[in-house]
Amino acid sequence: MKGTTPFLKIFTILVFLFLYSPIIVMVVFSFNESKSIGVFTNFSFRWYEKVINNPEVWKALFNSFWVGAVVTIVSLVLGLMMAMAVTRYSFSGKSILESLILIPVIIPEIAEALSLLIMYIFLNIPLGPVTVIIGHIAFDVSFVTIVMRARMAGYDKSIEEAARTLGANEFQTFFRITLPTLYPAILAAGLLAFTLSFDDLIKTLFTTGPGFKTLPLIVWSSAARGGVSPELNSLSSFALSISFLFAVFRLRAERRLER
Amino acid sequence: MAIWFYAPFFIVGLYSFDMININRQIVFTPSLVHYSRVLSWTGAMGIFLRSLYFAGVTVLLCLLIGYPVAYYISFKIKKYKDLFIILFIIPFWVSFLLRTYAMMSILDERSFLNTLLTSLGLIDSPIKIMYTDAAVILVMVYDYLVMMVLPLYANLEKLDKTLLEAASTLGAGPVRTFLKVTLPLSMPGILAGFLLVFIPTVGEFVIPELVGGPNNYMVGNLIYEFFMGARHWWIGSALSMLFIAFILSLVIAYVRKIGERGLAF
Repeated sequence: MKGTTPFLKIFTILVFLFLYSPIIVMVVFSFNESKSIGVFTNFSFRWYEKVINNPEVWKALFNSFWVGAVVTIVSLVLGLMMAMAVTRYSFSGKSILESLILIPVIIPEIAEALSLLIMYIFLNIPLGPVTVIIGHIAFDVSFVTIVMRARMAGYDKSIEEAARTLGANEFQTFFRITLPTLYPAILAAGLLAFTLSFDDLIKTLFTTGPGFKTLPLIVWSSAARGGVSPELNSLSSFALSISFLFAVFRLRAERRLER
Repeated sequence: MAIWFYAPFFIVGLYSFDMININRQIVFTPSLVHYSRVLSWTGAMGIFLRSLYFAGVTVLLCLLIGYPVAYYISFKIKKYKDLFIILFIIPFWVSFLLRTYAMMSILDERSFLNTLLTSLGLIDSPIKIMYTDAAVILVMVYDYLVMMVLPLYANLEKLDKTLLEAASTLGAGPVRTFLKVTLPLSMPGILAGFLLVFIPTVGEFVIPELVGGPNNYMVGNLIYEFFMGARHWWIGSALSMLFIAFILSLVIAYVRKIGERGLAF
């Protein structure tokens, strides 16, 4: 369709504009000197200073990082085990297990989060960082398993057999052959798990205890309470730069996988 | 291990069948009373229908916006295709919550966009879109557009382009080629996009909470109200179970039609 090309081009440009402008406006106005979110007066770091001097933000950032790290490590170990189980062995109920792995990705997060909360209350488990971590892992394991399983499908088992023939025992084979070969997939899945945990709002919101906050929780509570403000603009831009950094890492890991 | 994930739903299931009493003891007298209350309550049905409607409109808009973009990048861009796709994905690297907030920052009555449009004389008074149905749908389109474009693009890329040449050699005009060849062949992409946008939007909770008001609530907000507001866990549980069953039946219908390969995201 030759005649439609200019139209398509303009349309695509407009869509890109639609995608980028809210984020750009948010970042630009985080540097605004005045309190206005509609008129840009002067460039200033005023709101960033306010964010940086807020100990609650640093505490939340620290919480987000360590929760993300624990969730990533545990999800990787469990996900790797599940992926190996379903790709290497056949056992009864395997296809059921495979669907059971997929379902958590599909269920609406709000139903999942509230169910977790009900279970914790029913079992009298005190809410806090541990309950948050358990909730994140239950969900992230599925994602890790799906990513790992896709990569393992093309895995060449003969190198493991070669290692065994050459006298390596099972542990040596796993740590010196299997793990290094799967390293790019593990890296990609790990970064995905970390991002999912780091950005998670709904599960954290309902499974956290008093006083334990992560970065998305702070953004959520100020957005729900006071709406748009320059201070929240700068906090969001700050959080955005962290998400961005991890996305770049993830992209590079995925690129490496494709090669 | 998979059981661990399902334990919460098991407990919610017990609540929904009235098998846990107010003292948190399990009682073996299952009953459907909470299900029948949910199903016979028109208010809940109205909110459920509204969720379907919001998600349906969002899917439609994502398709109308996303198809031309996927088509353009796949068919018209020769060099730097990957660059275009990455440029498209970059805004979605920003977390879902921050994207929603960024949209709030331009939809707000006092926002830059409103000041700009007013000062240009394009509008007389600021657009009051926050806390309306339109705001909820607009933000959902913004947040989930990528879920439509990526499967569509992957599908169009795989499409055998010699078929299009064959169609035009055989005398089909561009419109006819598109309607009779391209569009039917991209149906798997459209269906995958439909599922990937519809499922998260129909269960959306954060967006209606932030940019909608009580009049724009969706099923997710209703479930939340029962659990956290009214603390009626039995009704909340019955509602959750019904909603999860609805979502799962959608996915099962999709898998039946497309085959399991359709789920390999």
